Amino acid sequence: MQEGRALADRQINRDLLHTIFTHPKWQWGLIAFFGIIVLGAMCAAGYMFNRGLGVSGLNRPVMWGFFITNFVFWIGISHAGVMLSAILRLSKAEWRRPATRAAEVLTVFSLMTAMLMPLIHAGRPWRVFYWVFPFDWARGVYPNVRSALIWDPSAVFTYLTSSTLFVYIALLPDLAVIRDRSTGIRRQIYSVLALGWRGNPRQWKLQIIAGVLLSALILPVFVSVHSIVSFDFSMAIAVKSWHSTIFPPYFVIGAVHSGVAAVVIVMAVMRWLYGWQEYIRPEHFDALGRLLVVVATGWFFFFVLEFFFGLYSLEADEIAVKDFLSAQAPWSWWFITFVGTTYFIPVGMWLFKGVRRNPGLMIIACISVNIGMWLERFLIIVPGLAQKQVMNFTYFTYAPSVVEVVIVIGTFALVCMLMLLFAKVFPLIPLYDIKEGEIARDEIQIGRRKVPAVLREE
Amino acid sequence: MARHPHEAAERTGPPEVHLSDREVMQDLAEKYDAACPKFWLAVAVAGGLFALGVLAFVIRALDVGLSDSSRNEYGYYAAAFAFLIVTATTAPLAAIAFRWTKNHWRRPFSRAAELFSLVGILAVLAFIPMLIVLPGIDLNGDGVLELGKDRRTIWFSAPIGAPIWWDMAGLIGVVVCGLALLWVSARPDMAQIAQVSNGLRARVMGRLACGWQGTVRDWNVQKGQMAILGAFYFMLLVWVHTLISLDFALSLIPGWRDSIFAAHHVLTGIQASAGLLIVVLFLMKKVGGYDRYIGVDPFWSFAKVLLGVTLLWGYFWFSEFMTFWYGRDETEQTVIKLLMVESYRTAFLLNLFFSFFIPFVLLLWNGVRKSVLGPTVAGASVIIGAFFMMVRLYVPAFNIKDVGAESIAEFEAAHGGTAAQLLPVLPGPLDVLMVVGMMAGAAFIFLLGTRLIPIMSAWEMKEGLMYVLYRPFMKGKYLVLGKPE
Repeated sequence: MQEGRALADRQINRDLLHTIFTHPKWQWGLIAFFGIIVLGAMCAAGYMFNRGLGVSGLNRPVMWGFFITNFVFWIGISHAGVMLSAILRLSKAEWRRPATRAAEVLTVFSLMTAMLMPLIHAGRPWRVFYWVFPFDWARGVYPNVRSALIWDPSAVFTYLTSSTLFVYIALLPDLAVIRDRSTGIRRQIYSVLALGWRGNPRQWKLQIIAGVLLSALILPVFVSVHSIVSFDFSMAIAVKSWHSTIFPPYFVIGAVHSGVAAVVIVMAVMRWLYGWQEYIRPEHFDALGRLLVVVATGWFFFFVLEFFFGLYSLEADEIAVKDFLSAQAPWSWWFITFVGTTYFIPVGMWLFKGVRRNPGLMIIACISVNIGMWLERFLIIVPGLAQKQVMNFTYFTYAPSVVEVVIVIGTFALVCMLMLLFAKVFPLIPLYDIKEGEIARDEIQIGRRKVPAVLREE
Repeated sequence: MARHPHEAAERTGPPEVHLSDREVMQDLAEKYDAACPKFWLAVAVAGGLFALGVLAFVIRALDVGLSDSSRNEYGYYAAAFAFLIVTATTAPLAAIAFRWTKNHWRRPFSRAAELFSLVGILAVLAFIPMLIVLPGIDLNGDGVLELGKDRRTIWFSAPIGAPIWWDMAGLIGVVVCGLALLWVSARPDMAQIAQVSNGLRARVMGRLACGWQGTVRDWNVQKGQMAILGAFYFMLLVWVHTLISLDFALSLIPGWRDSIFAAHHVLTGIQASAGLLIVVLFLMKKVGGYDRYIGVDPFWSFAKVLLGVTLLWGYFWFSEFMTFWYGRDETEQTVIKLLMVESYRTAFLLNLFFSFFIPFVLLLWNGVRKSVLGPTVAGASVIIGAFFMMVRLYVPAFNIKDVGAESIAEFEAAHGGTAAQLLPVLPGPLDVLMVVGMMAGAAFIFLLGTRLIPIMSAWEMKEGLMYVLYRPFMKGKYLVLGKPE
């Protein structure tokens, strides 16, 4: 697993910090481009707040559409950070090193974006004030703490807080490096942010312990977040096709699938934009590709069980949802696209080593996964609601309005813009982790071959 | 295999690192040749109990017959069979998975894991009575599947041979695949034994080795075969777990609709087989004389895996329980009462305690994980937990007579309390003998198998030695692990 040449500390500093100390025009151009799209989305949201939810495609009984789909999607993307960083850190996987920071940062930004969606979906976001500070307990006007919809923000904010802390703890040594290379006001800001990091043995020890503890503590939070998001659906027995025991792990593994695929996209783009070929090498894509094959296959098993048990019930309204989803156009076309793009196309590609080691092809496969996973959430939410059920007296199908589409596109632009801005002020590949990897790398001579090896502390 | 130049100067780690190829081969061959009286005593005891179990089964079959109407008499038999599937039949997966991930610590137990494929032969034989007592799908025989008249099954309108032949084909497939994997993996050792032995053993091993010469081509072919068979074994195993859990438990309880159940069954198999292998590793180290080859590392690493799987086990159970409990659906509430909180409460609590709480509390601590005894106790605990899980799932499922009902909630409503079909069933003496006999039979076959094929893979151990070094680094000595592509 070591194909790159050995790198000196000085070169690592120079290569990985040039995004911060140089200011190419394309970077600002790109940020401005995404900024304009975000501005467009903000205008669309403002228009919707002004005119009401009627300008969206939401109507009885489909009151959850693009916004909630997008919420679940971004929560899913956020699972990449912990999957790659905490689990691979605990399991001491060497190939994690260049991927961890980008994954962790993607977690934070996607969580922030995800939390915007319920606010926008509510139509009157200022009313969240009453949710936080209930104004009329006497008449029962307060959030129902027994509802999964209330557990959701608690879990997501816990995850956001711990993920931010996770990113920050891992950033400390790198912040000190930037501080030592800066002058003026920038030096003062980084001095404050670095919290007096000097790199002495005690600080390293504390940083490692904090990293391990946070890794271990964040794992249950990571699992709970998407499980609770799945409870939003599986606890609602009134909507057929939602009440399914497999939903929590199905959502979690789906989130890991889309999240890791998103990290691959980010890594490939970083490699291309910043010229980090020495750091993000084909072996890393290969390892992520193998991991994705396992995750995708686990996801597919769960998907089959979930779909199958809708039919197993032999209940007419459950079967009607599955029939609507898989046999009635245009939903059936979306369904075929979803299964193909989530599993068969990418896994078919990843079976070949040549594809796994090619960043360009990996981007295609991973974009395919994320298209599929977005559709998956859409197809879980809308067909179930669109069915006529007991106590439904009016029902329509659902088609998103332009406002919804613009807002959803805006969220993608927002995450891209935030990632670029982050890269302007902090290194997207952890310097100290790469340097540690350089120390740990070794080789063993077996016959005429040299086998890559790693140093392990007993 | 070639030795690398650093060996004498740099190998200062655990005892096994000091051994040369020749010493390893010689030592393992000696251990394979010599079986102590205790071993034969264990074989005799296991064989005796197995015979008693068979006798108990024959008595039961002669007494009550073997048909759909006597299904309730075989609940504990079904639980023992399912226990065999979740432990012994799932065990080879450990060898496959950790070979894929190139973990060096797998080497001392990968052959032991594969040897459990032999127990699959017993599983196939034990499966035949289960198929006979399984009720048909089209209960009223009108050729149309109707809710409330026929039973829900995963086979819907029953494709040809479903479920009996499909289930049997799946199980035979997994057993044949496991045996093929064992043979492919053991060929190099068989060839070596054929060379150093004489007489009948040399001839048998020579035949089984099928002309293994140890050429580069031989090794490459073996690597490819193991990868393909491993992939097939994995897929077939998941398929078999799914079929057995759904056909012999879930679909026999009317109205029980649980999409996570098959996945939970697979996971229980992974957890219980990990526990089983840790216990086997402990016995190999402490009783089998393989102390010098088995350090703390395999226990430590396996304990981490077991902890992860245990957490997942708890999570899967919680997902199932929470969805049913929160939903307040009448059928689901009755299912919870039956399998967890009322009828089979004791079995459930033991299941939860041994499968989750004990391993979780123990393995949470690195000091416990990094020991020989800690993971072994946790391993034994999950095996016990898996057994109680099989009891609380299969015994009630086999005791429901009216499998064509729409929901078990109907039984309660009709009865005005807990219906007779939903009351707990305790094991009789014959049930106990059948359960013990099934487990003893598995141990008997496994022990005899170790006389045919060495329990420790000599070629994998020798290969492992090439990839492990101790080198000085700053003030200490560090382990250097080779990770070949």
